[in-house]
Amino acid sequence: MAEHFPQPVQQQLYSLNLGPQHPSTHGVLRVLLTLDGEYILEADPIIGYGHRGHEKMGENRTYLQFMPNASRMDYLSGLIYNHGFCLAVEKLAGIEPPERAKYIRVVCAELNRISSHLLWFGTFLMDLGAFTPFLYCFDDRENILDILDRVSGSRLTYSYCRFGGVARDVDDVFIEQTRAFIKRLRSRWPDYHNLVTKNVIFIHRVRDVGIIDKDLARRFGVTGPNLRAAGVAFDMRKVEPYEVYDRFDFEVPTGSKGDALDRYRVRLEEMEQSCRIIEQALDQMPGGPYRQERVRLKVKPPRGEVYFAFESARGQTAYYLVSDGSPYPYRVHVRVPSFGNLHCLTEVLKETLVADAIAILGSIDIVVPEIDR
Amino acid sequence: MAAKDDALRRIQELLGPGAITADPDFRAGVSHSVACPKESLVAVMEIFNECGFYLESLTGLDFQDTLELVYHMNAYEPRARTAVRVLCPHDGEVPSVTGVFASALWQEREAWEFFGVRFSGHPDLRRLLLPEDADFYPLRKDFGTVHAYRKREEVYG
Repeated sequence: MAEHFPQPVQQQLYSLNLGPQHPSTHGVLRVLLTLDGEYILEADPIIGYGHRGHEKMGENRTYLQFMPNASRMDYLSGLIYNHGFCLAVEKLAGIEPPERAKYIRVVCAELNRISSHLLWFGTFLMDLGAFTPFLYCFDDRENILDILDRVSGSRLTYSYCRFGGVARDVDDVFIEQTRAFIKRLRSRWPDYHNLVTKNVIFIHRVRDVGIIDKDLARRFGVTGPNLRAAGVAFDMRKVEPYEVYDRFDFEVPTGSKGDALDRYRVRLEEMEQSCRIIEQALDQMPGGPYRQERVRLKVKPPRGEVYFAFESARGQTAYYLVSDGSPYPYRVHVRVPSFGNLHCLTEVLKETLVADAIAILGSIDIVVPEIDR
Repeated sequence: MAAKDDALRRIQELLGPGAITADPDFRAGVSHSVACPKESLVAVMEIFNECGFYLESLTGLDFQDTLELVYHMNAYEPRARTAVRVLCPHDGEVPSVTGVFASALWQEREAWEFFGVRFSGHPDLRRLLLPEDADFYPLRKDFGTVHAYRKREEVYG
């Protein structure tokens, strides 16, 4: 009799490829999931699809020629990467930009940070199945792209900074547009909060999901908003102030639990803090030259090395440059924040539901080409 | 400041006074450099872990005479960054620190595939960014076009 009936189903593990084309993976990322029913037992992110060899390229071009590469790693906050690279080379070569250039750079970098966070906001909520917020934030983000396009000539991969200044001066129209944008963005916060922050479906999807606590963050080197959501007020702009960030009054928002909801709140609050920095920078912006005239295009730093860390939209980023005294860097290494942020998913995704995995992935805000380099 | 001072005191006890170089002006972006022999690497990392540091960056440098691994350690306080430098021959092996810092699991995979440094004791030494069948070490100076290939003292001498 027994052979006529199907054998009782054994408990079976199931492998699922999340990506590499899944729209919520932000770049080309594949996560190999081992599932037991709907629960994830193991998650192994497989990366490298976008590896272009930026670090190798750095070894056979001059410092200035590497500038466009810098903005193509994290293409959502390219100007901040540009800014950081510029500061690293200036520190190595002993170049001091004029005051006006420093303020221009800070304003542009913070605008870029807001545009990056706005894009995260839209895509994160789209991952969760909400389409409307995406339209709101892209509408706002478009303003920033227009402002930056006007001064730098590009919408996404800016190569605006130069050693000893910026490529072009800003005019009164830029300042007016920026002030108008900040006013507009502030008038939009109530809409954002009514639409999303107070939305009960959203809260249920993200509260107590994907907890990254202090200890986990430290073991995996998680930085940026993801670390601050766990309650550690660690921001390079405050801890090791570079450029003129020590002249501004702003706060480092933190969360308490480190769940996806905390990460969401921290990022929204960070946009408001960036607005405060921009306003103060515009008020204090001095006149004078926007670029040091005497810097040669082929910068030739003395022998030695520099490790320069700064805060990009996704966390602590650093350039490690080694110079042998020639116009070509001997080694260019980039410490990217998304690397640690993604790596910790191998631990965070364990024993969660597949649906939550999408929410967690969105809340961590990774940019894969930055990891692949 | 407590974490950094505590860690440096214990490392000095372990390695002797000559191993640590200070950079009080923070000119190269690190406050102290530790020249660490391979054998003591895991012990040094354990000290850093107990003092609340995290492994910020791990990368290599290729010189004609040697490979060098640089571990940048940082704590959540101002100017705590410390570089741990380990020299290793081109065909050499370095003990893995994955037992101390989980972030080394990926960072060591990256250093291995790009520089050809074997990490003894790493549980899962697969390629991370390169194709699975890559049989070259791209960040070595004998690969591709590079401007210069120097001895270590030509850069740091």
